[in-house]
Amino acid sequence: MAVLPGGIRAAARRRGPLDGEGRWALLFLAPTLVGLAILSAGPILATLAISLTSWDLLQAPSLVGIDNFVALASDDRFLKALRNTFFYTATSVPIGLVIALGLALALNQTIRGIAWIRTAYFLPVVTSTIAVALVWQWILSPDAGLLNQALGVLGIAPRKWLVEPTLIMPSIVAMSIWQGLGTNVIIFLAGLQAIPTELIDAASVDGAARWARFRHVVLPLLTPSIFFTGVLSLIASFQVFDQIFVLQRPRPTSASITVVYFIYENGFKFFRMGYASAASWVLFLIVAFFTWLYFRGQARWVHYQ
Amino acid sequence: MSVLTPAVAPPTTLSPWPRRWRTVRRAVFIGLLVAGGILMTVPFLWMISTSLKTRAEVFAVPTVLLPAIPRFENYSEMWNALPFAAFFVNSVKLAVLNTLGTLLSCSMAAYAFAVLRFPFRGPLFALLLVTLIIPFQVVLIPNFILYRWLPHPFSESGNWIGTHEPLWVGAFLGGAFGTFLLRQFFLSIPRELADAARVDGANPWQIYRLIYLPLATPALATLAIFTFMWSWNDFINPIIYLRDVNSFTLTAGLSLFQGQYVGKWPLLMAGALVSVIPMIILFVVAQRHFVRGIAMTGIKG
Repeated sequence: MAVLPGGIRAAARRRGPLDGEGRWALLFLAPTLVGLAILSAGPILATLAISLTSWDLLQAPSLVGIDNFVALASDDRFLKALRNTFFYTATSVPIGLVIALGLALALNQTIRGIAWIRTAYFLPVVTSTIAVALVWQWILSPDAGLLNQALGVLGIAPRKWLVEPTLIMPSIVAMSIWQGLGTNVIIFLAGLQAIPTELIDAASVDGAARWARFRHVVLPLLTPSIFFTGVLSLIASFQVFDQIFVLQRPRPTSASITVVYFIYENGFKFFRMGYASAASWVLFLIVAFFTWLYFRGQARWVHYQ
Repeated sequence: MSVLTPAVAPPTTLSPWPRRWRTVRRAVFIGLLVAGGILMTVPFLWMISTSLKTRAEVFAVPTVLLPAIPRFENYSEMWNALPFAAFFVNSVKLAVLNTLGTLLSCSMAAYAFAVLRFPFRGPLFALLLVTLIIPFQVVLIPNFILYRWLPHPFSESGNWIGTHEPLWVGAFLGGAFGTFLLRQFFLSIPRELADAARVDGANPWQIYRLIYLPLATPALATLAIFTFMWSWNDFINPIIYLRDVNSFTLTAGLSLFQGQYVGKWPLLMAGALVSVIPMIILFVVAQRHFVRGIAMTGIKG
């Protein structure tokens, strides 16, 4: 069944776009097309339209032009949300990638029990951020939290990790790196295992030192994986919300609010749909810009075989 | 290769170093890995230990690592403090519906993109990929307004707000990630199979149903597990759309619980543990699918 004589196969192919194949495609794509129109692609334009209005959902929306965007530019809470989100991205993404890369290199060997160690690293990934944040809130709690207790043994004074403005974001970054490590490690492991052994053997025969082999053979071949995990982490980092919600109850201060929390707060607490939509569009433009920048820069350092 | 480690021939055993050095290096490596593994597990162990402690043990200084007598009553107290049984049922229901919807709608779209020929196939697929990059929070407000406008026969508000529907109906309307994942897999299935079936008179639906779906079982399993996990762990959507406590999912319920039981760490940890156990079981059972799924998207990306 698998192999047809060439003539028949060619004949089957020559029929080209079959009568009705387009109609079949429409049938198969119908759910996706509806979804694109009303849930994903279409609403992006809707967000833009709503952002030009003032709308509390009770009264009819009134057109206000770019007033919402102008107000955002001088809204201190929004600017702080931007700053905190950038801080989160600029720290959690690179640090997370470097640690994951080191771990993947270490985990890429056959040791008895390696599966258990891998499981340990991957456990936080499958756990909801809500549960994770609850546990970390307890570990970081100022009175009897595990971290302060452990630091106390070393003679370090206790800190209020989730209250002191300079410590909140670093604490949340640390927790998020811990939680996301497993995903990146697995992508790197897959990338490492796809590197042809001959290449490394050849470098070994040439007498390349360990570091040189890593720097000039392994690392270049791993750049597609690094690029991909980078994109995933970058996009996800701009969406940070769950951690902030749980760890900064009842309401994050200017030291910890993020852009998505700002959208949530304005849209679903204050019902300022126009204002929240304007913030959404700013988020969209930021993510689009950085993703574009990232893709544009890839030619310089990503090597595809 | 070394006599000491005859079974080992992994790609990274690159070193031409003396044997003794390799043994030392290996020991250090393993030590670091195990230490790191323990560090990764500490929050979980701490969650379990705390969930079985008394209030006095929780706040004891110096820290008590393990409770003297495990206090299992914490679990029944937690379970009865809020309708956790209902949260559980809701989470399962939504995860199952999301998984079914995603598998069905994404596999259909993926089949069209991978096998069928039709006008605008390229641009349409590109549009889908663009939505993969867009953070879904960007469309949160129009989606909320849409669901607030759609009539619902059984809801108090008369629209979809306060019902479970906004949390799963969208899954039946495709998804960029699943479609992309399955399309890549479908492309690796030899076209000759479809061509042969077509010559035998099968229509595209039969080819999809009888050839592509069965052959794609591994990819479908991977997508199913990921979708289940995402639905189970989703937080922002439940807190936006759900109103009545009895309709809450575990994540939303846990957050409510946190607000009401401030400082009652044993109960909070018991609740957190109960909410994550199903995912941990799923992960342990289907670990290979998890790893393959992440690796697959990683390489093809």
